Amino acid sequence: MSQPDLEHLHVRGCWPLPARPRVAIVGSRRPSPYGEAVAEQLGSDLAKSNVIVVSGLALGIDAAAHRGALNGGGLTVAVMGTGVDVVYPAAHLRLAEEILAAGGALVSQFPDGTNPRRQNFPARNWTMAALSDVVVVVEAGEGSGALITADAAIHLHKEVMAVPGSIFSALSVGSHSLLRDGAGLVQNARDVVAVLGLGGEVLDDPLSTPNRLGFALLPDRDGIVAHLSDVLAASAADIARKLQLPVAEVLGRLTALELDGAVRRHGAGYVRALRRGKERA
Amino acid sequence: MLASVDSCLLAGLEARLVEVQADSANGDSHFFLVGLAATSVKEARERVRSAIRNSGLAFPGRRLTVNLAPAELRKEGSALDLPIAVAIALTQLGKAPPSRSAFLGELALDGAVRHVDGVLVAARWLRKRGYERVFVPAADAAEAALVGGLEVIPCTSLGQVVAHLVRAEIIEAQRPTEPVVEQDTEATEFDLAEVHGQEEARRALEVAAGGGHHLLMSGSPGAGKTMLARCLPGILPPLELSEAFEVAQIRSLLGDLASNKPLDWTRPFRAPHHGVSMAGLIGGGAGLALPGEISRATHGVLFLDELAEFQASVLQALRQPLESGRVSITRSGGAVVYPARFMLVAATNPCPCGWAGDGQRNCRCTPSLIDAYQRRLSGPLLDRIDLKVGVKRVSLDELASEPKGEPSAPVRERVVHARRIQLERQGCLNAQLKPARLRQLAGLDPVARRTLERWAEQKGLTARGFHRAWRVARTSADLEGSDQIAERHILEALGYRLHDVAA
Repeated sequence: MSQPDLEHLHVRGCWPLPARPRVAIVGSRRPSPYGEAVAEQLGSDLAKSNVIVVSGLALGIDAAAHRGALNGGGLTVAVMGTGVDVVYPAAHLRLAEEILAAGGALVSQFPDGTNPRRQNFPARNWTMAALSDVVVVVEAGEGSGALITADAAIHLHKEVMAVPGSIFSALSVGSHSLLRDGAGLVQNARDVVAVLGLGGEVLDDPLSTPNRLGFALLPDRDGIVAHLSDVLAASAADIARKLQLPVAEVLGRLTALELDGAVRRHGAGYVRALRRGKERA
Repeated sequence: MLASVDSCLLAGLEARLVEVQADSANGDSHFFLVGLAATSVKEARERVRSAIRNSGLAFPGRRLTVNLAPAELRKEGSALDLPIAVAIALTQLGKAPPSRSAFLGELALDGAVRHVDGVLVAARWLRKRGYERVFVPAADAAEAALVGGLEVIPCTSLGQVVAHLVRAEIIEAQRPTEPVVEQDTEATEFDLAEVHGQEEARRALEVAAGGGHHLLMSGSPGAGKTMLARCLPGILPPLELSEAFEVAQIRSLLGDLASNKPLDWTRPFRAPHHGVSMAGLIGGGAGLALPGEISRATHGVLFLDELAEFQASVLQALRQPLESGRVSITRSGGAVVYPARFMLVAATNPCPCGWAGDGQRNCRCTPSLIDAYQRRLSGPLLDRIDLKVGVKRVSLDELASEPKGEPSAPVRERVVHARRIQLERQGCLNAQLKPARLRQLAGLDPVARRTLERWAEQKGLTARGFHRAWRVARTSADLEGSDQIAERHILEALGYRLHDVAA
């Protein structure tokens, strides 16, 4: 694939974009709760630093990044693999409207009315890379579309960065191989902002926040949460075995924790719920 | 000369009386069979003629008319062979038939009396109608003898029957089959002791058994869903006499009763393949419907593996039986009602490829594909399943080690105890409690109520979901022998949901 044609994009919303740095946040359509929390936090923090968050309006990481940017009160751009009048997946209709309402844009290289087609998405990923200064891969398994975006960024001489994950998680295999090959390490928005070279232009300076990604865990009264990961789901049976408790009791306690928002269902098991820190100092 | 012999035709678990009249009159040698006989009954003419000749009896060389009354009822099957032959023989010999007696059986050309389906059902019905004696194929005598107060004459050949009727040669009546409750050993063929890990699913199985709840298991291929389901009959109490009798009747209709052991105390376990047709699952067939898998599973377990692969229309048809415990099927020959009160155990993969949520293998399905797959399950059927549990694959080294789980016997004890509590309290199992009775019989302590309400508010629980959790909590408390439903019971009950499947 070659240099995408940015002159003839179809656009809804604000265009051309204000001259501000643009960062693409991409990753799996089915992320772990960890990946989702990271994407949302990064989106929000970058938006606060006056960065335009670019992503693909897909499920999972993309949606979390857009949402984070909106929460952070910033501009966000959805680069679509369909016509700009065809929101895919349809469940993101509301999200697309919020992006427009917040002054962002939906853009696409495909003419209006283009329906989702598998072969269109790689080209969209190239456009996304071309539109951004930095591409951050949050969670990408082997063969993930996010790796196509990273590839395009390398070819287009853009900066590629990646967020590390658990070595046990299949969803981080792609991100880790990018890091091994020299991608920049992202532990917080500050790492990204540093690469952009914004320095003093940062409005809400994430540099001042020692709490990095700023997640808070709820107090762990039962000692159950300590046995849960935020990436890989553990079943009630796994925990019951570790704590030597009857499974019925553990199941009940997990339900209570779920009611308090401390744990979440993920697949057939449970993960620790990640919560944004209250107000970050 | 005229002779008339009684028999009956099955219609579901009931029957219709058929009077077989034979008349021989002067005229050309001819054999008329009248009275709306279907092909299988018309063929009786040839079987009966041969059987009579080969039994050393004379076939009337005159004009012979056999009438099957009532003439409006369509006659199917071969059970009328014996009564037809007996009526003809009696006409020929000028003897009156025995009073209050009925005959059932198919004839072979040499005069041997062969097995027919549904003898137990027929015998029960004849007894109800005031008959005192029934002549049945020797092979089916044991099942007929389950019906008390009825003399059962086992017939091996036409010659023997005629000799008995004409010359009073004695055929010893079948001794009544005494129902002896036995703690059979077959049920433990699949024992929970053999299940590795799976504590959550085991517990769900126990709760399901304890309250008669339906259960859905979701997990990757090879996670052990089938093994778990097969363990279920082994932790259920043995059948009650009335239940065993009902099971035997269904099996009798299908010709599936062992002649040496007509009453079986093991709860049925039926596992139809997902390609099963509507008629196969619900019941069907030409004329009058025969019972399907759901009726064969009555008082036992119906296991539907790969639930999403079943035809949607077939699953839809499960709704009525799940609600009422009965199924009524109308065919050209009329409507029949069969019992269908079973525990549904369903199993499904989490996604089309089966590996979503599996720790070791990657799922290759797109989110929309998974969505569509799970949507196939959602709706009215899932609404009626009280317990839903994820089953995770057990690691290989755990499989290689000795399983450490509790065996079925103590689980069964707890289940039997919990069920007894329920039957004494409310006359039915918790799964059958309607909301009104639930309010009346299953008091929640204030903390438990608060928790359930909080959950309903926060997670948007439907009314059905609310009552599902309540019912399951009742069973959890019963398994513990606790009268009040405490918060921990509600919390456990709320845990039996699936993240992915709309519930």
